Amino acid sequence: MASRPLRHSDAQVIRLPTPLRSVDARREPVEAAELWVGVHAGAVNAAAALEKLATRAQKYTPRVSLVPPDGLVLEVQGSLHLFNGVDGLLRSFAEDCRTAGLESALALAPTPLAALVAARVGAPFVVTNKAQLTGRLTSMSLAPLRWPEDVIERLARMGVRTIGQTLRLPRAGFARRFGPAHLAELDRLTGRNADLRHRFQPRERFRRRRELTYEMENNATILAALAPLLTDLGRFLQTRQVGITELECRLRHRHAPPSVCVLRLAAPLADVPRLTELLGERLNALVLPEPVRSLELRSGLPVLRELNSNPLWQPGEYGGRAAGSESSQLIERLRARLGHEAVYGLQVLQGHRPERAWSMCEPSIADAAASARGGHGGGAGARGTASANTRGPRSSRAATPWDAFRRPLWLLPAPQQLDELDGVPRRLGSLRFFGEVERIETGWWDGGEIGRDYYTVFDIYGVQLWIFRERATPHRWFLHGVFG
Amino acid sequence: MAFNPELARLLEHPAIWRGTSVARTDVLSSGFLALDERLPGRGWPRNGLIEILASRFGVGELSLLLPALAALTNAPMARTSAWVAPPFEPFAPALTAHGVVLEHVLVVRVPAALRGGALWAFEQSLASGACDLVMTWAKRPQPKEIRRLQLAAERGRALGVLFRPMQALREPSHAALRVAIEPLTHGVRVNLLKSKGGVRGSVELDLAAAAHDLTPVRS
Repeated sequence: MASRPLRHSDAQVIRLPTPLRSVDARREPVEAAELWVGVHAGAVNAAAALEKLATRAQKYTPRVSLVPPDGLVLEVQGSLHLFNGVDGLLRSFAEDCRTAGLESALALAPTPLAALVAARVGAPFVVTNKAQLTGRLTSMSLAPLRWPEDVIERLARMGVRTIGQTLRLPRAGFARRFGPAHLAELDRLTGRNADLRHRFQPRERFRRRRELTYEMENNATILAALAPLLTDLGRFLQTRQVGITELECRLRHRHAPPSVCVLRLAAPLADVPRLTELLGERLNALVLPEPVRSLELRSGLPVLRELNSNPLWQPGEYGGRAAGSESSQLIERLRARLGHEAVYGLQVLQGHRPERAWSMCEPSIADAAASARGGHGGGAGARGTASANTRGPRSSRAATPWDAFRRPLWLLPAPQQLDELDGVPRRLGSLRFFGEVERIETGWWDGGEIGRDYYTVFDIYGVQLWIFRERATPHRWFLHGVFG
Repeated sequence: MAFNPELARLLEHPAIWRGTSVARTDVLSSGFLALDERLPGRGWPRNGLIEILASRFGVGELSLLLPALAALTNAPMARTSAWVAPPFEPFAPALTAHGVVLEHVLVVRVPAALRGGALWAFEQSLASGACDLVMTWAKRPQPKEIRRLQLAAERGRALGVLFRPMQALREPSHAALRVAIEPLTHGVRVNLLKSKGGVRGSVELDLAAAAHDLTPVRS
């Protein structure tokens, strides 16, 4: 090989290290990397039952795939030891099939397709070794592969009736005659190629309805009637280790359109007593047009919950961090009573127009990350130490774009026009001008143009105000802020 | 007085409260040295309810509290500082410029139709344990309600600040500390009306100069 003249393409060949010991499967049986259980449901309308079974099968493995219309495969290699091996697992799973109302045949094989095909045949089939798989498949007929009729027929005319005979055909010729898709299927059957399957996703939202035996009007009784639904919801969330951030409660009436109350939560929640309490707050605020005939709970998308343990220290104590849950609980409780928009945080926006220099934002829930960032921005200095160091705060103030004391702490929702006397503004008496004027003239590019001269004034009561005079012709005066 | 170690140990007991000594109270510097000297424990209480009575809205009652607010939001384990039912919009750029970290600021609006909503929200925030500081601008809280608020603040280890008009002077109050503020030509005069274990009297502060330099004009 070394004497062979070096070709250009050799440089690109990646040589994999040859295995030290080639594994001969026939001499030395190796456990398959994957083991699949195939389920074939005999009943005609098995789709719903299979979905139920797929949900239930999640306890064995997350790798569950539905094969419509009547099949199901699940990969169980990783969990065999949890169910007393192959026998124990199959017995337990057969029990599950029975409770799901399925008359089904099970098979176990190293590839999903083989397990499925074997389950369709119905004869007991348990193969844990990949090397034995092809041997066990040879005698099976082609029918359970569910190939098109004409393919089966053409193969039959060639005298090929079993899987073994098919596998013995030359690959190139088989692909040319019957299409590469069928060859690929055979490869997946024997495990020559990997078989990728979509995972079954269990139903993600909770939705349950309860018809009431008699009509209810009282909010307290309605909440009591909701209790079983909420308990179900709690179980639903518990098994999935998730929480919800949105819960909708629909109350149906005889004639009127259903009353809806929606609970939005700041952090994923799965705690039934808390949900009940919050829902109770919401229901109290609800005015019912008619008595309620039925109740329905619908959850939003479940969100993964962060489970954290309680800290040793109380929040506020030395080393005790503010638990984020308290903060989110507070926000939820306030929002449940006052409305979602009533509780917000503040943020600074870039720009010189006072109205657009800030905006509301979603309140940040105090967590470890946020607390760790505390102390940045170097504001008024840490308490206690600042008296010794008067220079520090000054330098941080210089970092802000303008002097802190030139902006009021309070901004009026909208500028309020001031009375004038001979072109001089008045408010509850004359105003005393103070400091210098600041011109803000900007925003011509987005239609929110302003041209204002801002003044700081004191009114006769000693309240410091922030007022401006329009640069445009009427030259009206407005009150815009209070320094507080 | 001769030093008696046994007596000193006895007096260490947290349940014993002695007139002017409130060394055991956890306090927060107000940012004004002259004021700190007068306040019980040399600062605002860390948990409890205080009342700030202003002759008119905007004479400087918020500026008086601002250094403490900035210090609280800058603390490494900062909790929320909630503004319950503020009369106008807190102007975020000014707060930032004064060193307040906005992440820890929460504004709670109360619909006008909801009677008693502001006090309810105030009490919830105080008792939640999620807040360092809760401020509200309540109209007319009853003395009984103020007692509840005081207890809620202690439960939630929060400083509750009740901004009230000067008319409230005549009403009794359960607040731990009560100060009145009135404007002067430069700065404000703070009257300490009620302070458990502090010194009564008044102190004049220049808010604009002192808020950050932490040096009082005169006292």
